[in-house]
Amino acid sequence: ATLCFQAFLQMCNLPIRVVCRANAEYMSPSGKLPFIHVGNQVVSELGPIVQFVKAKGHSLSDGLDEVQKAEMKAYMELVNNMLLTAELYLQWCDDVTVEEITHPRYGSPYPWPLNRILSYQKQWEVRRKMKAIGWAGKTLEQVLEDVDQCCQALSQRLGTQPYFFNKQPTELDALVFGHLFTILTTQLITDELSEKVKNYSNLTAFCRRIEQQYFGGHDRDSSAAAAARSAKRSLLR
Amino acid sequence: MAAPMELSCWGGDWGLPSLHPESLTVMAYAKFSGAPLTVNTIHNSWRAPKGDVPVLISDDIVISHPAKILNFLRKQKYNADYELSAKQGADTLAYIALLEEKLLPALLHTFWVEAENYCSVTKPWFASRIPFPLSLYLPGKMSREALNRILLTRGGPPLYSLTEVEAQIYRDAKECLNLLSKRLGTSQFFFGDTPTTLDAFVFGFLAPIYKVHFPRVQLQEHLKQLPNLCRFCDDILTCYFRLSVSGHSPAGQDTADANLQKLTQLVNKESNLIEKMDDNLRKSPQHPPRKLTTLKLAAGGEESSPLSRLSP
Repeated sequence: ATLCFQAFLQMCNLPIRVVCRANAEYMSPSGKLPFIHVGNQVVSELGPIVQFVKAKGHSLSDGLDEVQKAEMKAYMELVNNMLLTAELYLQWCDDVTVEEITHPRYGSPYPWPLNRILSYQKQWEVRRKMKAIGWAGKTLEQVLEDVDQCCQALSQRLGTQPYFFNKQPTELDALVFGHLFTILTTQLITDELSEKVKNYSNLTAFCRRIEQQYFGGHDRDSSAAAAARSAKRSLLR
Repeated sequence: MAAPMELSCWGGDWGLPSLHPESLTVMAYAKFSGAPLTVNTIHNSWRAPKGDVPVLISDDIVISHPAKILNFLRKQKYNADYELSAKQGADTLAYIALLEEKLLPALLHTFWVEAENYCSVTKPWFASRIPFPLSLYLPGKMSREALNRILLTRGGPPLYSLTEVEAQIYRDAKECLNLLSKRLGTSQFFFGDTPTTLDAFVFGFLAPIYKVHFPRVQLQEHLKQLPNLCRFCDDILTCYFRLSVSGHSPAGQDTADANLQKLTQLVNKESNLIEKMDDNLRKSPQHPPRKLTTLKLAAGGEESSPLSRLSP
């Protein structure tokens, strides 16, 4: 998710600095990562940050008409609904991944037994949420199928255009880039999730293009790598 | 031909074939794609719902979630999306996600969590259709599940109290309705002139808000200010469900059809008689030719006597 914001802010041409902190969740006003700290204001989560930036005079979706704005909002919900939930499911409900990757990473800043307690608590919370929305009964194959369907929809919408709404990047491009890049670069037990995304060549080309265009201007290796590392950590929160 | 398919779902009222959004979605899709579905509404018998409703039973296959039911129907060649392009198919998925994220919490809240609505309308209605003693337990369980779902998906910080969550979900729902209205514009269905999966989903979510009479109706009032969405619901109801205002259950639609046929026959007989009378009059030279009164057929299966419409 951090990557989505960085991409969005880069697209708006606003300079940012990424800082990793262990207690970042508690510093954020809404408890959710990431958040930005501007002057003496602190704003968190994509929706409020977009509005904050808009109020300051930068907006990426001004050129869209009403129907396109409706479409953009619908696609953003699709990404949140499918990709985000699938990522959460994979991290917290798939037993193999949980044991070998998620628990150690989530609990790494804390001493024993706090690390185990906190990660079990988070796991219980996520599983409760999955049950409420009906994903608890899904197997891994079904989740991967859903991700595939979502990627197919995104791929068909993108087609051969450089961005989702033709020439200009919008919030949707930032969001999709953030999720897809994280999926493609994070190391998990199996590569099935990233394979699903790699099946759609226009999506991988899209990610590469945005990475080069917006993260290539600065010191590319360090900022992209730092972004990927902080993205992993924020993903696990 | 495919094996006969049976759908078990919640019944309807207030002019709708069903009050349950997911059941309504499946029924609408079946009508759009022409799938021959026998609908069994759950009424006060011991074959009570065991959890997920609606349920499709075909031979030995039991399918429960609406998306899975729609997939099954498509595999049986009842496909309402045949003429859509790939991009429109992608748009369908996106808009359905929008509906589930933004509109469904407010819908659940209006039906199950809002205290006045729940106590005066929802609970008695559902309790009357579930056998005792489950009727004491099941509506309460559905209400708790709805509240749980709303709080878990929308209730995180910075929204700490239920009233703040409620305010936020109603804002989101109104925004979603506005977006749908803009997308629909002036066309009859979302993708041109034929209804598709997206139309089924939108109808399933909007019709309960539009038609059910609740004491607290802020969402319904907002919907009524969007005339193209109201027209969309009414069109589907009159074209595909053909129910009168008082509302028959879908099982009664066959009797409504039979009534309609009888009415048509009666009217035809009367019009033949009138023609004969008219011919006789024309042959006699004294009277000028009379104008035939045009007979209008009742479209909704209402049993009004055609004789009262004739003026001698």
